[in-house]
Amino acid sequence: MSFQEHWVEADGFRIRYLSAGDGPPLAHLHGAGGLRINAAHELLSRQFRVIAFEMPGFGAEENTRTRDMPELAATMARAAEALGLTNFDLMGTSFGAKVALNIAVRNPEVVRALVLEAPAAIRPAGLRPPSGAPDVIARMLYAHPERVPPLPPVDPAQAARIAALTTRLRGLDREPDLEARMSGLTMPVLVVLGTRDALIPPEMGRLYKDLIPNAHLIFVYDAGHAISAERPEAFVEVVGDFLEREDAFVISRANTVLLP
Amino acid sequence: MKVSYFETGRYRTPDTVPGVWPMPPGVYDAQAGADVYRGMVERITLAEQLGFDWVSLSEHHYSPRILTPSPPMAAAYLAARVHKIKIALLGPIVSHANPVRLAEELAMLDTMTDGRLIVGLLRGTTNEALTYDLNPQESRERTDEGMELILKAWTEPQPFGWQGRHFKYRTVSVWPRPLQQPHPPTFALGTSREAGDFAARNRIGLGVSYGPFEVMGKATGYYRDQCARHGWEPTPDQIIFRANIVLAETDADAQRAMEAYPARAAFAMGASVANALLELDTRNIAGEARQASVNRALPINFVGGPETVVEQIRRCRELTGAGVVDLGFNTPGSSDPNALIAALELFGRKVLPRIRDI
Repeated sequence: MSFQEHWVEADGFRIRYLSAGDGPPLAHLHGAGGLRINAAHELLSRQFRVIAFEMPGFGAEENTRTRDMPELAATMARAAEALGLTNFDLMGTSFGAKVALNIAVRNPEVVRALVLEAPAAIRPAGLRPPSGAPDVIARMLYAHPERVPPLPPVDPAQAARIAALTTRLRGLDREPDLEARMSGLTMPVLVVLGTRDALIPPEMGRLYKDLIPNAHLIFVYDAGHAISAERPEAFVEVVGDFLEREDAFVISRANTVLLP
Repeated sequence: MKVSYFETGRYRTPDTVPGVWPMPPGVYDAQAGADVYRGMVERITLAEQLGFDWVSLSEHHYSPRILTPSPPMAAAYLAARVHKIKIALLGPIVSHANPVRLAEELAMLDTMTDGRLIVGLLRGTTNEALTYDLNPQESRERTDEGMELILKAWTEPQPFGWQGRHFKYRTVSVWPRPLQQPHPPTFALGTSREAGDFAARNRIGLGVSYGPFEVMGKATGYYRDQCARHGWEPTPDQIIFRANIVLAETDADAQRAMEAYPARAAFAMGASVANALLELDTRNIAGEARQASVNRALPINFVGGPETVVEQIRRCRELTGAGVVDLGFNTPGSSDPNALIAALELFGRKVLPRIRDI
């Protein structure tokens, strides 16, 4: 399955997205590093119609208009609406998980289930998005950089522009308003953290469990911050099962018969 | 220096029994087995009276060598009969275990012993791969993952799921939790780079065993270097050195006892299986490859009269940094319970008082 490039208009932005697959719609919002299709997207597209958005300003075009996280969330909700997505699964990665949570708390009727990959909606004090040469960033994103395909080279000007955009939009480390609204979420929520995440300590996963009534917490062993890139099979197995069965995904369907 | 008495629960094997592994269960004498467990209580009661700090237990299977295939069960049995000495499980074989079950049992034990539990987490000797059909090439990875899952199960206050490589759970939510918080003193047991890395990263101790002091010093040195890299320094109590000791009234008596010590393991596997295992089971000391130990008798690191042994323990501390020695009182004493009692008493009387300041 290969991802095809498309564009959609929302809030006056021409928003790029990559899409593949025929199943139920699953929208994905990338992290602060921008949109990169990885093996997890490919695996998910066997089960879902994956729509991986590139949020305005995180690609070739500059975004000087969006002022804050709720505005970005509103734009992305309109982009989904423009694609005819009225009830869909939403997955956000790191910075994108905060966008996804902002969408879910303001538009709960359209989000069927929510997946938060290494979410940065609650951050340790002083955390900065990874920056520097690709190998430096890889060491911050992955527990085992040598096992993951190298990151593409970055254009320094574009990287600086995206870093400034992220800083403008990412908001506070703790957002009292967002956290208060999280307690009102009713859709099933899956929080996935890597046990070797060097940016968001995996222990922070419990805060989402504390705040969100129907949250499940999953640790992906030996994965860093970029879980879906580092351990795509482990990530997709649990995400796919959760989106298919929601809360019942805690019941094993594994066949353990060895020798019938 | 703290001292741990390694209670092996050794069964007295009649000379007529073949020295093979696995040992046929048909040769087992149930009454002799019952005597082993009674003897364990007698010895650890004595060890407590003599002032030993810990009694340690370990896991082996399918042979008379160590009659505690379930160390948590042995620990529960013994812990109820002594009251001050710490109970050290060194350790359960993690690569065999359901790590969540092990986390539960160890938390139970820590609570039942009123916080006297010490935990060592072990990959297992090479032959043990055969015990529960474990692929020896996977034992390292299963151990690393299992150890991490045990620590997480003890410390995570919310129910969680685990997407591992070798273990997968959708719901982990352990009750009881350990009495000692955040968890009992815990050690990764092994000399490998992986064990040192894991222990350093997770701020737990390291236990090494059965090698020359200089060689074990490489493993503990690597561990300390890695701890520094992670921004902390282990205390001496966080390094255990496990070894056999042959202690007698005089050096000459101890040397005579050494002459009877076998070169080959008492219960050995067939050569073809042993050789196949050696090919599959890779081991290292602080990253330097070493051959797995199969069918070899374990060395004796401490041998002599009290004076000599005190100096050897001093040297062990200097070269390995260990603040705890875990001692298997071997020949004399491995098969004759009375000789073992005599060696324990001699150690308590003439060695223990002189190594406290080491």
